[in-house]
Amino acid sequence: MRAVVKNGIGVFHPQGFLDGNSVASLISVDDIEATLKLKVDMVLVSLKRVIFFNRNGLDQFVKMFMKLRQEKHMIIGFCDYDDRKYQAIKKFYAKEMNFSLFKTLTIAELFSNHFNNHNKTVLVWSDDKSQRAAMAIELHDRGHNPIVAQNLNDFQEKSENKELYDVVIENSYLGSMGEQIAARVTSNAVIYTVSEFLDTDIATQFNIEYHNNSLNVGFRLFIFDAYKVVSMNVHAVNFFAKLASSGAEYNATICFVGLSFDKIPERFKEEMEDSGILFYDAMDDVLGNKELLHELGAASAVAKKNQRMINKKIVSHLPQFIDAIVTTLEMMTNAKAIKEEVKIEKIILTQKENNLLASSIGFYDDMDGIVILVFPKNIAKKACELLIGEEVNDEELILDSLAELVNIVGGKLKTLLSDIKVNISITLPRTYDNMDDVLEVIGEKKGVQVDLKFDNDHFTFFLTR
Amino acid sequence: MITQEDIEKYIQKIPPAPKAVQQTLKEIKEGDLLKAAKAAKEDLAFSAYLKELVNKPIYGFRTEVKDTGQIFGILGLSQSQQVVYNYLLNTLSPKKWSFFALNKRNFNDLQDHLSLSWSKILKYLEIKDKEIESSITLLPASIIVCEALFNEKKEEVDLIRSAKNLDLNTILKRLSGYTLFDISVMIAQKWEMDPKIIAIVKASSGIERVENKEIEKLAKWMHLLLFFILSQPQYIEAGLNDFIEFQIDFVSDIYEDFMEIMEIGENE
Repeated sequence: MRAVVKNGIGVFHPQGFLDGNSVASLISVDDIEATLKLKVDMVLVSLKRVIFFNRNGLDQFVKMFMKLRQEKHMIIGFCDYDDRKYQAIKKFYAKEMNFSLFKTLTIAELFSNHFNNHNKTVLVWSDDKSQRAAMAIELHDRGHNPIVAQNLNDFQEKSENKELYDVVIENSYLGSMGEQIAARVTSNAVIYTVSEFLDTDIATQFNIEYHNNSLNVGFRLFIFDAYKVVSMNVHAVNFFAKLASSGAEYNATICFVGLSFDKIPERFKEEMEDSGILFYDAMDDVLGNKELLHELGAASAVAKKNQRMINKKIVSHLPQFIDAIVTTLEMMTNAKAIKEEVKIEKIILTQKENNLLASSIGFYDDMDGIVILVFPKNIAKKACELLIGEEVNDEELILDSLAELVNIVGGKLKTLLSDIKVNISITLPRTYDNMDDVLEVIGEKKGVQVDLKFDNDHFTFFLTR
Repeated sequence: MITQEDIEKYIQKIPPAPKAVQQTLKEIKEGDLLKAAKAAKEDLAFSAYLKELVNKPIYGFRTEVKDTGQIFGILGLSQSQQVVYNYLLNTLSPKKWSFFALNKRNFNDLQDHLSLSWSKILKYLEIKDKEIESSITLLPASIIVCEALFNEKKEEVDLIRSAKNLDLNTILKRLSGYTLFDISVMIAQKWEMDPKIIAIVKASSGIERVENKEIEKLAKWMHLLLFFILSQPQYIEAGLNDFIEFQIDFVSDIYEDFMEIMEIGENE
């Protein structure tokens, strides 16, 4: 059984009856290895469709959790359960619960580092005071607004006004949290929260995949919220310096906010400044200053010093790109695609821009670039019907499914290229309801534009770097 | 990926029940096991299947049973009818499975597990009805249909399922408008199976509302039994555990009784 990945979370969905024997068959060594390779910061087992489990059954998953945690510092745990299952798990693992419990996947998402899932108002309740505090801190670090109920009465009173909260957390438990650095997005800047003593572990705790993805999709300002940092050693300094240098290609800026130099040698600061890292006392000094934000690149994604152009290597693999996109879309729409035109130029959108939706996915390793799929809304709807299950007009839901669709394209592309010994990794998908945002990411760059026709609908994909 | 046309072609290709099997069923329905055995002997493959089946350890006979008449005599009317339907379904199963990691032997084992557990359930429910007892035999038809329709689409299915947790029944319904259970029903109609059998199996998907309370009750038991059996290691390894979606709410009111019948201890 393989985990389904969405929003940076890998979820296993077992069904039926889980005991030691059945789970041993569900999760093979290969499955664990595949999970270790996932670019996710959280791995969960959904108990939604499990009617029976015993301790032996859960132990098999917990064993996998420990491996994931040890090697990849992921957040691990169970989700989607009712009160009966919650009480049973707590009873099984009373004093040794190193994993987390999230009553729903929506609650779990609040603790992941994904673009679209921040600034939520969250009512938090646990009968354990330290759990309430831990949840509030983690939520705050991820850019949410936690409101903590102080006792059961307080929780019951508050939860009567459900409309005041985006999410209500109860019957949940935070085990050892992932050591990956929390990230959130605001005002076109990506904010990472770092704390305590920063040393060589920063390289494994920092989600470089997420960072590269942010660069690829157009973010230019990266802020390290460092109020809680006590000190750092030379390994951490080198890491940040390297991060700043690698971002220079994209004209990205890295700044630190709230970092105290009481216990950090002055030469470390100088070294970081030499790499282009900026320091500010307070978050508001950056986020509250529009001019500064503009200057730092947060207001625009196009100001790149080095425009990277499409190259021969990518063009030579165009058949695989076309194959991946066409077969996926044919599969999703159950319609035949006809290739209309292939050209190398700046992207040209022939249809009315307000009738278009888009999604993109970046790729890197043996070659790097970005694939952008531009859909007229009716094709987008049709292509997502298989994933959604019915015809919908909710644009948010369609965009969400377009992200899944471009992920499928990425998966197919990865397989096709690996068949000819070209290895790529794919980034998280991004969706666009506004073509100005697409044009901003692409800038003035040329790329390969392929126009396709499905039945009578036109569809475009654009491949660039 | 799979269109309505593909499904229509598939249904067209399903052969009618062999004459000897049809005659055997007719005699069983009329309560004459001797004539049924005589009819069964006319089809060598069918009588060989019967002999192989009843001599499996799961049926628990101490001495080898060789004669078809003896086999039907031991099994009785209801179980004889079940066995005939199981054979019919076997004629539809592929020689080589590729989507699911199954083979002839473990598919037959699955049929046996389902049949024997179903008998246990019906005994508990105090139901004695030949057609209801036989209804379990149609349930694995959904697995055969799945294998037939998806066997060359494994890569596509895996891709879709890497992005979204969709079961094969849902994928098929969204692509073609038909569920695996709709197609199983078409097969059953082609074989002129009893309408009660068809109704129970269709309802056992747990996704369609059923007016008839008795059919609904039996469908719940069948749904839970299917997932109980499919949670066994050999069927998980065959890839059967998540081919359709387990409707946990559908079966919640019979869960306690089911655990008692199957002698499963509570969560501990």
